[in-house]
Amino acid sequence: MNTLVQKIHLAPEQRSLLLRVIVLLLIGAGLALVSSAFLGANNLLNLLRQASLVFLLASGLTLVILCGGLDLSIGANVALSACLAATVMKATGSPLAGCAVGLASGLLVGAVNGLLVTRVRVPPFIATYGTLWILHGLTYWFMAGDTIHGFPPAFRFLGSGYWLGVPVPVFLMFGVLALGTLFLQYTTMGQEIYATGSNTEAAALSGVPVLNRRLLVYMLSGGMAGLASLVFLARLNSAEGDMGEALTLQAVGAVLIGGTSLFGGTGTLAGTLVGALVLTVVLNGMNLLAISANWQPLITGVIVIVSVAADALSRRRSGD
Amino acid sequence: MNHVAQAPLLSLKGITKRFTGVLALDQVSIDLHGGEVHMLMGENGAGKSTLMKVLCGAYQPDEGHFESEGRPVQVRSTADAQRLGVAVIFQEYSLVPHLNIAHNIYLGREPRRRVPGLIDHGRMHREARSVLDRLGLDIDTHRVVEGLGVAQQQMIEIAKALSQHARILVLDEPTAALSERETERLFEVIADLKREGVAMAYISHRMAEVFSLGDRVTVLRDGKRVATMPAGQASADELVTLMVGRKVDMSYHRGERPACGPCVLELRGASSTGGIRDVSLKVHAGEIVGLAGLVGSGRTEVARAIFGADALTAGEVLVHGERLKGRPTDSRSKGLGLIPESRKQQGLALARTVGDNLLISGLRKLFASGLYRPRQALAHASSMVSTMRIATRGPRQLSRHLSGGNQQKIVIGKWLLAGTRIYLFDEPTRGIDVGAKEEIFRLIDKLVNDGCAVLMISSELGEVVRVCDRAYVMKEKRVAGVVARADLDETNLLRLAMHHE
Amino acid sequence: MSKANRVALTASLPRRGLPQLPGVAWLLLALLLGLSAVAPGFASAANALNVAQQATLLLLLALPMTLIVMTEGLDLSMGASLSLCTVVLAVVSLGSGSLALGIAAALLAAVLIGLLNGVLIAWLELPPFVATLGTLGVAQGLALVLAEGRSTSGVGDGLATLWNGAVMGLPVPLLFAAAAWGLFHVLLHHTRFGVAVIALGGNREALKLAGMNERGSLIAVYALGGLFVGLAALLLGARLGGGHPTAAIGMEFDAIAAVAVGGTLFERGKGSLGGTVLGVLAVGVMRNGLNLLSMPSSLQVAAVGAVVIVALVVDALRGQQH
Repeated sequence: MNTLVQKIHLAPEQRSLLLRVIVLLLIGAGLALVSSAFLGANNLLNLLRQASLVFLLASGLTLVILCGGLDLSIGANVALSACLAATVMKATGSPLAGCAVGLASGLLVGAVNGLLVTRVRVPPFIATYGTLWILHGLTYWFMAGDTIHGFPPAFRFLGSGYWLGVPVPVFLMFGVLALGTLFLQYTTMGQEIYATGSNTEAAALSGVPVLNRRLLVYMLSGGMAGLASLVFLARLNSAEGDMGEALTLQAVGAVLIGGTSLFGGTGTLAGTLVGALVLTVVLNGMNLLAISANWQPLITGVIVIVSVAADALSRRRSGD
Repeated sequence: MNHVAQAPLLSLKGITKRFTGVLALDQVSIDLHGGEVHMLMGENGAGKSTLMKVLCGAYQPDEGHFESEGRPVQVRSTADAQRLGVAVIFQEYSLVPHLNIAHNIYLGREPRRRVPGLIDHGRMHREARSVLDRLGLDIDTHRVVEGLGVAQQQMIEIAKALSQHARILVLDEPTAALSERETERLFEVIADLKREGVAMAYISHRMAEVFSLGDRVTVLRDGKRVATMPAGQASADELVTLMVGRKVDMSYHRGERPACGPCVLELRGASSTGGIRDVSLKVHAGEIVGLAGLVGSGRTEVARAIFGADALTAGEVLVHGERLKGRPTDSRSKGLGLIPESRKQQGLALARTVGDNLLISGLRKLFASGLYRPRQALAHASSMVSTMRIATRGPRQLSRHLSGGNQQKIVIGKWLLAGTRIYLFDEPTRGIDVGAKEEIFRLIDKLVNDGCAVLMISSELGEVVRVCDRAYVMKEKRVAGVVARADLDETNLLRLAMHHE
Repeated sequence: MSKANRVALTASLPRRGLPQLPGVAWLLLALLLGLSAVAPGFASAANALNVAQQATLLLLLALPMTLIVMTEGLDLSMGASLSLCTVVLAVVSLGSGSLALGIAAALLAAVLIGLLNGVLIAWLELPPFVATLGTLGVAQGLALVLAEGRSTSGVGDGLATLWNGAVMGLPVPLLFAAAAWGLFHVLLHHTRFGVAVIALGGNREALKLAGMNERGSLIAVYALGGLFVGLAALLLGARLGGGHPTAAIGMEFDAIAAVAVGGTLFERGKGSLGGTVLGVLAVGVMRNGLNLLSMPSSLQVAAVGAVVIVALVVDALRGQQH
C-alpha cells in the first residue's frame, strides 16, 4: 500500500498521515463488521468524547516532543489540577474560579518542569518523572483519601454536555487542533520549535532562543494538562487522588502512533489526533467485544511498537 | 625502486557500488604496490571515501572483485580485510571517548589472558606504549581519549592503524587536523613504512603532499577512475582539470578593495570559558581579517566568544561601539553571523529542508510580526538558492542530501537572509572540493565589497595569504601578533604561530 | 575545561587509591545520619540487614540497567517483566508440580523478553523508550491474562530458602547481590563485552569499524537485563511465596533512579557500578526509613522522587558544566 500511496505525489508527512487515516478507517470498518454496537450513535459519540480527552492531553505533549523533550508528568498533573479545581469549586461554588485554578495549576507544573530542564539542565526523563512522583504524592496528601462529588451543571457541560448534537470536548479538540497547527506552521515560534527539536546546537548557533522555546513548550504542555483536567473532571463529576493514572500512557501512545518522532523535529498535531482516535477506537472495540481489560496494555503496547517500527522501516527504505 | 614488475599487494578490479539512486563507484580499479604511496584525488562526492570503505570491507561492492598478489580473494567484512592486512586511518574519528588510549588502539583486538579469557590490561598498555613511542607521542596510555585535542586524537588513530602491522595502509586526509610538527613525524613514519614494503593508499586535497609524498596518483571523478599516473609526471593544473572535468579558474586573488570603513567589531581584553585569554582585535567594514594559528590555539574559541556561544569571563565585545550581551540571539540581532567548523553538527538541521535551514536565522527580520508565511518563505529561499547557486532540487529538498559545498552555502545563505553584516567564518572551506572553494572565496569577496566585515579562521596558511587583508595569529589561547597586509605571507604567519621549543 | 588534565575515572582503569567521593555517597551518608536521628528502630543491626535484603531485588535490576543506560538506552519493561515471571514461576510450578520446571520457565520468559527488547532496539532501531514501553504493555498484559482465574500462591518451601535462608550467617539474597556485583564488574572492566558496552554509548561506529558486532552486543545487553529480571523473579517469588501480576510495577523506575543518582545517567560512558550500588542503597534506605516513620506509601514515592531530583540537581550544579 505504501507504493500505491507514493504514486500520489505527496510530501512524506502528508503521506504518513494519509496512511494512518486509512489504518484508522480499516480498523473502524473491521469493528463495524464484527460488532453491531460499534456504529451506534451513542457509541461513536462516547468514543469521540474519550478521544478528545486523550488528544487534549497529547497535544501539549506533542509540542514538547517536537522540541526535543519529554513530559511524563502529564497524568499526575491532570490529577492534581483536577483535585485543586474541584476543591475550589466546592468551596466557592464558582465554576469560573475552579477553571482558573485548574489551568493555573497545570501551567505552574509545566513551568517547574520547564525550569528544571532548561535552567538546571536535568534530563527531561528524570525531571518529569521526578515531578510525576512529587505531584502524585501531593495529590494524595491533599485529598487524604477523600473524593469530591457533584459540581455545578454549568461546569459539567464542559465534559458531559452536547452542542449541536456533538459532545462539547470534540469542539475543544478541533479548536486546539486548529490553534495548535496554526501556531506550529504559521508563526516564527513554531518554526523555532521544530528547529530546536531537530538540532538544538545548530538552532542555538543560528540565534534561536532554544531555552525559552523549551520552557514555552513545557508550559503549554502543563496548560493543556490543566485544560484536560477540567474536561476530565466535568465528565467524571468527581475527583479523587488517583484519577487519570492511565492517561499518561494513552497520551504517549497517541503521540507515537500519530507519527511524531521521539528524536524531535518531525510530527504534527493532526497525526496525534489520528493517533488518539486509533487508540480510542481499539480500546472501544475491546470493550464492545467484551475482551478482558487485562488485554488492554498488551494490545496498546503492540500497536505502539508496530506503528513506530513501520515508520522506522519506511524511513530506511526511502533512504533517508 | 621499481615495483612495477611485482604483482600489487592488493588490487581492486571493476568495483561498482550503488546506493539508493546514486552510482557511487563505476567500474573503478586500483592497484596498491608494496613500498609505494598511491595518492587518491578527486572532488568531494567523487567516490574516494566510498572506495576506501570498500577496500577495508566496510562496504560490499555490487560488482567487481579483489586480488591479493595476483590471486582473487573474498573480502566480505572488515574482519576479512583485516586478515588480508588492511588497516585504515579515518577522517571521521573512530575513537571511543570514554575509553583510554590503549583500549582505543586495541579495540576489538584486546590481548587476553589464556585463562579465563579476560583482558590482559598490562600487556595492552605495554604494547600501546611502544606504538606511541614510535610516533613520538608522549602521552600516558591511561589517559581517556575524550580530553585530548583534535590533533592528538588523529595521532591515536594513526597509532591504532600502525599497531595492526598492516601490509596495506589506507590514509584518509590524515594531516587535516595536524600541526606542522606532527605532520613531519607522520611523514617520517610513512617513509619508514615505505622502506618496509607497506602499500599505502592516501587521500589528499593538498597538492604539496601529493607531490612530496606520492609515487603514483589516481584521479576519481563522479565515481569513475579518470586517470592514473606516476606523481612525477603530473602537474597541479592537470590534476585539477582532471578532478573537475573543466578548466577551473584558479585566478581568484585578493583584488584591490576600496579602503575599508570604520571599525565595526572589536574585542577588548576578552577571556572566555572556552579558554582564550586577554584577546584584543578589530575588524573594519569592508575587510577580511584572517585568524591563523595552530590547531588548538584558540581560534574557534575566539569566534564563539564573539558570537556569545561561550561566556566571557573578562573583557568585552563591541559592535559599532556597543557592548554585546553575550548571547547568540543578541549577537544575531546586532548583525553577527557564525559559520561554524562542523556544518553538519552545528550549522544545519540535516533532517529539515533547505528552505527551513535558510530561513531560520532570518525569521525575526523577515517576519517581524511573528506570523510566518510559508509562501513568502519559499520565495525568499528560492531566491537565495539561485543567488548562491546551491545545487539542489529546490528549497523543499532535505538538507542531508546535499554535498558538503552546497551545505556550506546554505549556512552562509541563512546569514545572508538574516541581514548579517559581520561574518565569522570557521574553516569555511574544510572538506570542500576545489571548485566550490573558489566560489566561496568569491562570495566572501562580494560580501566585503558590499561593506560587510569578515573574520576568517583557516588552518591553510596559503588560503589566509590569498584571501585576507591582514591576519591575527593565535598561539596557546592568546594573540601572538598581527600581520599587516604588506607582510602577509606564510612564513611570517607560521613563525608567530609556532611554539618556541 | 580542564578535563584533559584530570585523570578521569575510566571504566577500564583499575582503582588507584580512593576515588573522589561521588555525590551519591554524601546523599547516603546524609540519609543514614538523618534517619538514625529521627526514625525509631532505624539504627539497628537487624534493620540494616533487613534493608540490605530488600535492596538486593532492586540491585539485580539496577546492575544490568546501568549497562543499558551506558549504551544510551533504557528498559522500562523490567517491572512488568518481573511481575510476569513471578506469575510464570507460580503457574508452571503449581501446574506441573515441579519447582525446577517453574524456575526454568520463569528464567526463559525473562530472557525472551530481554531478547525481544534487544531485537526491537538493535535490529528495528526503535528508540529504547518506545520499544520497552511496548514490551512493558506486552508483559503486563500477559501477566494479567496468565494470572486470571489461576492460583498463584503457595509455591512451596523449596523456593522460600532463597529468601529466608542463610549461609554462614549471611542471608542468601545478599550473597546473590554480591555475586551479581562481582560478575558485572568483571564483565564491564575485563571483557570485550564490557568494552563494547562502553563503546555503544560513546561511538557506535567505532565498534563497527573495529569489526565487532555492535548489534549483537546491544542485543546481549538487553538479554542480560532479561536474565537478571528472571533471577530477581526467583527472589521475589520466594519472598511472596508465589506470583502476582502487579507485584513489581514501577520497579524499573526505582532502578533507573538508583542508576541516575549513582552518577551514570549524566555521563553515559562513565558507568559506575559502585555508584549504582550506593544508589540502590540510598533508595532502599529512604524507603525503609520512611516506612519506620509511618509515612504512607504514596507520599514515600513523592519523597523519593524529590530526593532524587535534589541529588541530581546538586550533582549538576557541582561539577558538570554542560
